[in-house]
Amino acid sequence: MIPQLVTVRSRGRDGRRRRFFIPVLPVLLVLSPLLLLAVLAGLVACVVFRINPGGALRGVGQVLLALPGSQFEIEEGRTAFLVSVR
Amino acid sequence: MNEQRRQVLQMLAEGKITADEAERLIDALAREQPEPAAPGSKVRPKYLRVLVNSTELGGPGKVNVRVPLQLLRAGVRLTSLIPQDALGQVNLQLHRSGVPIDLTQLKPQQLEDLIEHLDDITVDVDSPEGKVQVFCE
Repeated sequence: MIPQLVTVRSRGRDGRRRRFFIPVLPVLLVLSPLLLLAVLAGLVACVVFRINPGGALRGVGQVLLALPGSQFEIEEGRTAFLVSVR
Repeated sequence: MNEQRRQVLQMLAEGKITADEAERLIDALAREQPEPAAPGSKVRPKYLRVLVNSTELGGPGKVNVRVPLQLLRAGVRLTSLIPQDALGQVNLQLHRSGVPIDLTQLKPQQLEDLIEHLDDITVDVDSPEGKVQVFCE
């Protein structure tokens, strides 16, 4: 299952909290033209650096599929930052 | 093999008991001490967790990182795509920096085995400045 929702939370020095919920699939659909260009650029880079393009695509896909469940949270004093992938 | 079972087999080898008696004794021991569950039946951990609680740097600090083990495996598989030329250059720089590690000798299978056994690892560091915990859950 690809990531569905990325949550970003932050708390600044002033104590103000910000929360962003990023729905991955709609964002990917909106950015799909750019994504296509990025994939093409990546394939060209693979050919230039003599990396197996199929293996690279498979590897990136496996990393994406394994992302759900990841969480990174850091707090220091009054500031805090959290990224969570579901 | 536990000690009692070994003693029964020893007595059988020395001819003090017959094969039937040994079998009955081993059966009785097995009933008293059931075999532990097979290693494959235990629940495999899914995440590597790093927790840091620190009182340094002005205010209290906290780091909480949860990484799926599957993500580590996928990352390790990506390393197999690094071209040999690049590995050679990295090795050269490592040698110049006084780190004699040959990355070409590091096989993806070895790295995967390392991740396979990460679930047995627990690191717990307690100090007046803070606490660090690394474990799988």
